[in-house]
Amino acid sequence: MSFKFSKIRILETGYSSGPWNMALDEVLMGSTNYDIPILRLYGWQPPAVSIGYFQSMDEEVDVKKCKQMGIDVVRRITGGGAVLHESELTYSFITKIYPKNIMESYNLICDPVVTCINKLGFNAKFAPLNDITVDNKKVSGNAQTRKKNILLQHGTILLDINVEKMFSVLKIPSEKIKDKMINDVKARVMGLNKTFERVAYYLKESFSEKFVAEIIVDNLAIEETENTQKLANEKYTSDSWNWKM
Amino acid sequence: MRKVHNIYKSKKLIKVSLEYDEHSKIINSITITGDFFLYPEETLDALEFNLIGIKLEKDSIKQKVEKCLSGSEAFGFDSESMTDAILGCLKSKQD
Repeated sequence: MSFKFSKIRILETGYSSGPWNMALDEVLMGSTNYDIPILRLYGWQPPAVSIGYFQSMDEEVDVKKCKQMGIDVVRRITGGGAVLHESELTYSFITKIYPKNIMESYNLICDPVVTCINKLGFNAKFAPLNDITVDNKKVSGNAQTRKKNILLQHGTILLDINVEKMFSVLKIPSEKIKDKMINDVKARVMGLNKTFERVAYYLKESFSEKFVAEIIVDNLAIEETENTQKLANEKYTSDSWNWKM
Repeated sequence: MRKVHNIYKSKKLIKVSLEYDEHSKIINSITITGDFFLYPEETLDALEFNLIGIKLEKDSIKQKVEKCLSGSEAFGFDSESMTDAILGCLKSKQD
């Protein structure tokens, strides 16, 4: 089954805080115009650690260290592992039309991300369930959720990676194996060393080609901005959400 | 009551914290976390809720896990590994 959309609404929402970024994804899932899927491109300022929906903040993150370093912490509505968001382009794709099979839906939405990376001169591959690799090194992690028949997939495209910084804010089982873990990650993960703008250009183009869709560059509606701020304040900065209390 | 914790490596990590009665081996409370994927996500809450009052032994746990996960899709673990992760708490040191 092929998936085509006549249009894709593009939102380039710039660099925002962790809570605001996660709140906007949730708001967009509840957006009223479901017929047009949304591709949102964004970054993180200040940097943020996000944890997967099923993870424990206390088990995964050195929150005190994050505060000292000016790094936000936030829990996602999607599963997966803890991520330090800093030098990356993050995208969210929101649609009501998608394959019901989970593996197929990851494959479908990761495909234009793979194409984007290849347009930048790499030989990227989809690595099920949710990664994209170049020469067996992870360059993109993706995660999705489905609520009220709307699918959200968000994912990172790594531009650069600071593994030492990542391990300084993520908790590890033992200090003894910290160096080994740092070396392991350096061997398994890489950044593309491209600019945000260049990746954004090819990502938009790749989604447009994949879904044979016209790109409609748009801004957030006032209501979407207001709802995002409210949700960021009430949910994504709250202990009850982030600590699942 | 005894509080125990187990970290189990399946395709993804499963971390289980539970409190149980040492005599009856009945689970009093349980929290399951990890970097796995489970659809729908609410399945995990239902699993934790349904494990309370269940005896920490293989058949009971496996049956409950299989029942709770039926109709959901998990990536990074399966019923067998989730059962092993929970039962592994019996071998772990007290929290």
